[in-house]
Amino acid sequence: MLLGVAFWVVLWEGYKAVGSPDGTVLLGVRVLPRADDLSMPHLWTVLQRLGRPELTGGRPVWIVVLSACLFTLGSTAVGFVIGALVGLVLAALMQRFGLVERGLLPYVILSQTVPLVALAPLVAGWNVLWPEWMTVSLIAAYLAFFPVAVGLLRGLQSPASAGVELMHSYAAGWWRTLVKLRFPASLPYLFPALRLAGAAAVVGAVVGEISTGTRGGIGRLIIEYSREATSDPAKVYTAMLGAALLGLVVAGLVSLLELPLMRHRRHVAVVTL
Amino acid sequence: MSAVVVDKVTKVFHPGRTDEVVALSDVDLTVGDGEFVSLIGPSGCGKSTLLRLIADLIPPTTGTVTVVGKSAGTARKEQAYGIAFQQSGLFEWRTVLKNVELPLELRGLSRAERRTKADQMLALVGLSDFAGHYPAQLSGGMQQRVAIARALAVQPPLLLMDEPFGALDEMTRERLQAELLAICAQTGTSTVFVTHSISEAVFLSDRVVVMSPRPGRITASIAVDLPSRDDAGRQSPTYFDRITEVRQALRGTPVKSTP
Repeated sequence: MLLGVAFWVVLWEGYKAVGSPDGTVLLGVRVLPRADDLSMPHLWTVLQRLGRPELTGGRPVWIVVLSACLFTLGSTAVGFVIGALVGLVLAALMQRFGLVERGLLPYVILSQTVPLVALAPLVAGWNVLWPEWMTVSLIAAYLAFFPVAVGLLRGLQSPASAGVELMHSYAAGWWRTLVKLRFPASLPYLFPALRLAGAAAVVGAVVGEISTGTRGGIGRLIIEYSREATSDPAKVYTAMLGAALLGLVVAGLVSLLELPLMRHRRHVAVVTL
Repeated sequence: MSAVVVDKVTKVFHPGRTDEVVALSDVDLTVGDGEFVSLIGPSGCGKSTLLRLIADLIPPTTGTVTVVGKSAGTARKEQAYGIAFQQSGLFEWRTVLKNVELPLELRGLSRAERRTKADQMLALVGLSDFAGHYPAQLSGGMQQRVAIARALAVQPPLLLMDEPFGALDEMTRERLQAELLAICAQTGTSTVFVTHSISEAVFLSDRVVVMSPRPGRITASIAVDLPSRDDAGRQSPTYFDRITEVRQALRGTPVKSTP
């Protein structure tokens, strides 16, 4: 991971060193971004900005960004769980009934093409009972359920026919086959899907916050800071850093969950008798 | 009481469609109590289909299948048989012990009972030391032995096997054949064994049933009476005579012997 970070540092600063301050324009189109300090502040400047106060006399930026991230993490987590559960149920139904799979899968895929920014006010308009952040969670769930539904379906259909016939020979019905065979066999497909769902939930939460104007989250912060981009370029990047970190944390949590459940894959030595 | 009675069974896949296949045509088979019967034939002769009919994994188009005195469906629901396929079909996320416990779990046995029976079965196939290993850590031969232990876990009166040693090398095959015979003798199970290998069929069985394809039907049933079912048996004249007999039946013509 350090190597990855180092790679990006080198890329960023390297481009700043060689790139033109006005960017590279080719046939009237800017193909490379501006490399001046206003558009691409030095990474060190960004880190420094984290330490200084947000506004004159306010809290340091990193505290503001961190608390915003935690707020968004809350709604992301709720959205992720809801999305994962919905995806789970859909995948199970689609595995059970071929008809449901053929009928539902196109709509599931289609659902992801709806622009989120249009969806957010709609969802907010339905609000009767729930707090504002729940709207954001629902939008996060909307993006999160798709990878889980598709990935888990693939996993549930993965067992070899020998395994399915075996369960059939034991007179095990659909539910017991699901619990004892299909679901454990689907875990190698589920975890990558959950990681994707986590990242999607973060995107959904941030876009949801921006669309609904929810205060306290990182989405709002990004918008606020971007208004000051010309006078304080490093501050925008601090907010973006926070959002990126949020995605990493969610992905990391999913990987943590994977550790105990995939123990059987880590033993590699083969015994021959 | 016979272990298996197959009575005038016909199986047609996709009846009435352009890809209609008559897999089995008017097949009669009886497997006695404690008998070891092999089904042998070229690819596509319907031997695996016949096995699956006995296992009630597919229904017959006409005819009846009776397993240990009950209908095939009832026998399946009561777990009256154990089955082993060419791919061991072990669950990679379960340890060897838990794999053997699978049919016992589905039967609703308590944890202690399951443990005892599974330990017994692993001892029977000689893999007690590997109870805590995962299938990926075992060789192919060992995995098949676990599959056999699993098939016998509920101590069924009938064992069905679909080319279980097909993916193994010759040495391991011969070893497992001897072990299988010892196990069947000890547990007294009747066995229906599908194979491609003539020598395997002759070595293992009391009776070799030869099938031919398109449509699948039984062309010969050859009784095998070896002096002993061990290495000495593999060298006896009876062994080679029976192999020749089975080969002839498979080809449908007498096999020329060099003078």
